[in-house]
Amino acid sequence: MTANPNIPEEVRAVAADGTKLRYALMELAAQYPDAIALGRGDPDMATPAHIREAVLRSIRDGQTAPTPMAGMPALRDAIAAKFRRENALPVGGENILVTTGGQEGLFLIMQALLDPGDEVLVPDPRYTSYDEAIASAGGKFVLVPTEHDDAFNLRPEAVEAAITSRTKALLIVTPSNPTGGIVTEDRLRAIADIAIRHNLIVISDEIYEKFLYDGWKHFSIGSLPGMAERTITLNGFSKTYAMTGFRVGFLSAPVNLIQAMTKVKAATTGPTATISQWAGLAALTGSQEPLHEFQRIYNERRTLMLTGLPQMGLNFSDPRGAFFFWTNSSAIGIHATELSYLLLKEGRVLIFPGTAFGEQWGGYLRISILQSTDLLQEALTRMQPILDQYRAQTR
Amino acid sequence: MNTPQTLSRPLAARVQALTDPAAYGDAPPVPQAVLDAAASALEAGHTHYTDRPGIEPLREKAVGWLGARYGIELDAGQVTITCGATEARFVTLKQLAAGKSVLAPGQHERIAQAAALIGAPIVQTISDPAAVSILYLTPDDDPTLVTPLLGLVQVHDWWVIYDTAVPGERLAHPALDAQLAPRVISIGSYSHRLPGWRIGWMAGSSAANKLRAYKQSMTICTTSIAQWAALGLEAEA
Repeated sequence: MTANPNIPEEVRAVAADGTKLRYALMELAAQYPDAIALGRGDPDMATPAHIREAVLRSIRDGQTAPTPMAGMPALRDAIAAKFRRENALPVGGENILVTTGGQEGLFLIMQALLDPGDEVLVPDPRYTSYDEAIASAGGKFVLVPTEHDDAFNLRPEAVEAAITSRTKALLIVTPSNPTGGIVTEDRLRAIADIAIRHNLIVISDEIYEKFLYDGWKHFSIGSLPGMAERTITLNGFSKTYAMTGFRVGFLSAPVNLIQAMTKVKAATTGPTATISQWAGLAALTGSQEPLHEFQRIYNERRTLMLTGLPQMGLNFSDPRGAFFFWTNSSAIGIHATELSYLLLKEGRVLIFPGTAFGEQWGGYLRISILQSTDLLQEALTRMQPILDQYRAQTR
Repeated sequence: MNTPQTLSRPLAARVQALTDPAAYGDAPPVPQAVLDAAASALEAGHTHYTDRPGIEPLREKAVGWLGARYGIELDAGQVTITCGATEARFVTLKQLAAGKSVLAPGQHERIAQAAALIGAPIVQTISDPAAVSILYLTPDDDPTLVTPLLGLVQVHDWWVIYDTAVPGERLAHPALDAQLAPRVISIGSYSHRLPGWRIGWMAGSSAANKLRAYKQSMTICTTSIAQWAALGLEAEA
């Protein structure tokens, strides 16, 4: 399947660049007020009230001065406590850096870690911002395939096969954006052995750790013996607490890397906004009931989609976490970029094509569950006749 | 508990060029209009991603300020809200230095670390114009030093940064020259009034979209509530 030249120029022109393609489709969708957005990974929930109240309180109390570059000490300590308690990471506040969102965390890691020509192993498909962060530091990303029939779990043998003399780091994303797959504990143990044997740094993106389904449990590779001095664990508040606009994330790493990233941060963005750090502190130390409610709601939506998508011929692997269904749309017979455009133009449903997460994924769509069940049901209703029509045409 | 101290592999060579960050000072009291604007934004649920360029009313304010202060005309579509002027400076240097030097005839402390990170030497006088890619200027620069350099901008395809976050009134805005305007990036900041809120901006030039895309790749967008709060500051003014 190849991309159809009939799709609009503003989409076709950026079709080879995953990030630009996602933004082009979002801008196109903005032209349709009735579009149902199942694209961007921005939770549709309201940020919990106690977090918003903490921010307002900090402003009223005049607690808005810039913090130390690595973050507010109380927040760094609270994050370290979370990592020890929930992830079994042996870290203290000195191992923590507060970032301006997870995306900045990635950027800082690559700037402080990579010299030109260093290679980073990246699971495919992937959120293409990883590519940009690596390239920005002069590094090279090397794709490690994951497969539908393996629930897009990361295979240790595939990791080892991709290692060269220039490999410096391995990226793990669990749960995964875009696939919703997880890297299971048995695989993580085998991958840790490989990392130790080849002296690799592991960058473990665990942004979606709180959203797991069907009894799956999160496991942090940094908790394994021999991994503390080679693991960077990346996380954030945006997805967990529906507060993407605050731009606050965090990571743990050995002290010398934290110090280096802190210098890079000072040179590139400065300290994370103080009000955002108060928001993060309230999120971590306040009631977790809103999070539990989010989890219940996402599970309900996921159940709806587990039934609805196969009924229209879209199959998927085993979405074990995150907010996404990574659906195989090849049976429709149309390249995913074109299919996404048609679903938007004719059905007013915004869905990202697989090609926004790697050029070879023209037979896949990423469908988010970040809308109410009513809107998800409406989206399924709008999609059905379009898929039926094009499936019939290509038969 | 033994916490990890040293990474098992060497760090990137580029970080050796950086110094420890200086501490920031205290912040002035938060103006009531800022508090009100932040409270309204929190109440309205502006706690999610903003558009990639930043909220339009704040970009309009930046354009209005550039017009009122310097007499230059820009469209809000050419403005990107950044995490302080720090991010705007780094993005601009990183994207436009192209492995060459940055010529800074006046103050250059604010770009020293960013230039060191990307390996771009800062020079204060010119020996080889072809080895320069960016002319970094501030309103405090001496016009007698700068004027001859502006004559070289088009000849050597330099970019010009005009950093309005630096106080001063000596040097006119270089984008007043219509021929230079497509090569001039204005940088500004709200940090003098709202230092911990991390709001700055970059505006203008034919590279505006490229700079915006790179900012997006670093931090996606700038803190939403802080953007709305900065609008309150503008309203107060």
